[in-house]
Amino acid sequence: MAGKNDLGSTNNWKAPKRMGISDLARREERLAFRLLLPALLIILLIAFYPLAQVFYTSFTDRVFASGEETNFIGFENYRQLLSVHVMELEPVLDEATGQQLVDPDSGEKVFERPLDVLPREPNRYRELNQFDLLGKRYVIGATDPNFIEAVQNTLVFTAISVFIELILGLAIALVVNSKFKFRGAMRAAMLVPWAVITVVSARMWEWMLAPSRIGMFNALFDRLGLIDSPIAFLASGGYQLSALIAVDVWKTTPFMALLILAGLQIMPEDIFEAAEIDGAGKIRQFFMITLPLLKPAIAVALIFRTLDALRVFDIFQVMLGQSTYSMASYNYFQLIGNRNMGLASAIGVIIFILIFVFAVSYIRMLGVDEE
Amino acid sequence: MKKEIGIFSLIKRIAFNLMIIFILVYLLFPFYWAVNSSLKTESQLFMTPATAVPRDPVTLEFSPTLQNYAAVFQDGQFLRGLANSTIVATSTTTLALVAGSFAAFALGKLRFRGRKPALYLILAMTMFPQVTVLTGLYAVITALGLSARISMIFSYMIFTLPFTTWVLTAFFKELPDALMESAQVDGATPFQTFRRILLPLTAPALVTTGLLAFIAAWNEYLFALTFTSIDPAARTVPVAIAYFTGAVARQEPFGEIMAAASLVTIPLVVLVLVFQRRIVAGLTAGAVKG
Repeated sequence: MAGKNDLGSTNNWKAPKRMGISDLARREERLAFRLLLPALLIILLIAFYPLAQVFYTSFTDRVFASGEETNFIGFENYRQLLSVHVMELEPVLDEATGQQLVDPDSGEKVFERPLDVLPREPNRYRELNQFDLLGKRYVIGATDPNFIEAVQNTLVFTAISVFIELILGLAIALVVNSKFKFRGAMRAAMLVPWAVITVVSARMWEWMLAPSRIGMFNALFDRLGLIDSPIAFLASGGYQLSALIAVDVWKTTPFMALLILAGLQIMPEDIFEAAEIDGAGKIRQFFMITLPLLKPAIAVALIFRTLDALRVFDIFQVMLGQSTYSMASYNYFQLIGNRNMGLASAIGVIIFILIFVFAVSYIRMLGVDEE
Repeated sequence: MKKEIGIFSLIKRIAFNLMIIFILVYLLFPFYWAVNSSLKTESQLFMTPATAVPRDPVTLEFSPTLQNYAAVFQDGQFLRGLANSTIVATSTTTLALVAGSFAAFALGKLRFRGRKPALYLILAMTMFPQVTVLTGLYAVITALGLSARISMIFSYMIFTLPFTTWVLTAFFKELPDALMESAQVDGATPFQTFRRILLPLTAPALVTTGLLAFIAAWNEYLFALTFTSIDPAARTVPVAIAYFTGAVARQEPFGEIMAAASLVTIPLVVLVLVFQRRIVAGLTAGAVKG
């Protein structure tokens, strides 16, 4: 118990009145620094170098696991990842009539090929998407459409799954917080999804969602007569993202629920007694007392869930393979598959910045860090 | 009149219990399916339609098999993995809780310059994807010459320490300052105030954070895979499972993976059962008066 002697020595730590204000503040500051020391030492020892290295490498063309010379290339990696360009596509006219050509097979109007329009210098742009606006056709090109798509996928995944987890987690925490017989067992059962090893859980769900009746869901839906032919949940398109969100919600709702439950547990009961006496109904009590008091617990739960969701890797990697990327699984592909360590580091930094923005806005929105 | 109230409360009780059952089914069904799959042979796994209990492919009679479990235990990797996981996750959690609660005391209850930067610095530790920091981390570990188990314990700080610090800071902050001031008037040292007042009153948060951090460390895969590559004896359970080659099945030993996954979940459930009392026991009513 080194800490005990350490802290115990500062008797009268919040100094009595006869001492000056500055003296009091200085004592408190010294104590705070000593308390923070272990955490700061760990950061310095373990995290400082790797994090600094990621920032530095993101400005180089370093190749992973090779002796090749590394060059400093400034913002080139970021430019490669984030360049997006919108161009108008001219209609292709029939030389005889002057009318726009129509594809005889699909019946759709023909426009220029995006590849002919999009810039090639300094980096080649590829098509990300097309859209119509005011009767004109536009194309969105990006130098790395896979990454832009990965960002979109990850943001949609994060927003929807974290929101559902919050609502479900709150509901489950409220139910488990009330008194009933098997409350203890319920708390243990509640943690099971979180306890299943992540990589295994992804494999397990992949099995349950198998595109034939080997899979639990297709067998069940077939038995219930809901489907005519098996659904390929994880094939590109429609159900991919929804399936992953469902898996993530199942796995991490316990995390949310447990943190919120802890928040409910430390609430002083007398506030509710007072509200009861004042005649406030249960619903009113929930919105006027419970929710505001839960804010700090909800804020940290949201921050850490969002942080994990933005870095989601296992389920995308295991369940979707290389067909659809999340930011982190694209990062993995660039590092391990392409050995492009500079670019991968830049992706890491972009994820870092995104997470930072989310964390700060949660804290602002929920007003939890106000003195 | 009295009877109506009785019916109303009966309906309420039934609705409540239905809700509990619904939540339990939702949370436990996929795990049930893992256990179900672990009791099937390879041919039973590939039956269409999938069966809710292991059945004989021909007669459709109930016929579970323990061969997957036998294979898991025959593979010495798994038991050694359990021991390694226990050591690593316990040490990680202890370290993260001690360092985290100290830091949280400062960040949640004391006024000092640089409070906010410190808070964000600690969070920043965990904002990169794991893959990205791996090479740098590996360089640090090699430079310090740490053994595989110690490397895992320290590197897991990257995701456990920010978590324990932030959660505990939020919870400490909720406790009224009046409590600390009265302790101080009674002549308590900061450490006594911390141990006797802050920690007991936030026990639910402490236990919850500890459990969540323990499980996160228990399940970590990528760091463990990297750091045990030169020392296979230090492999934790997730890595050991990934190295299953399939004693029974010819392809990927899915049944064995499910058997191992079901087995490693049990100690965690027991752990929660042991500690869950503390999740509720934190507040003796009326201890905190705002």
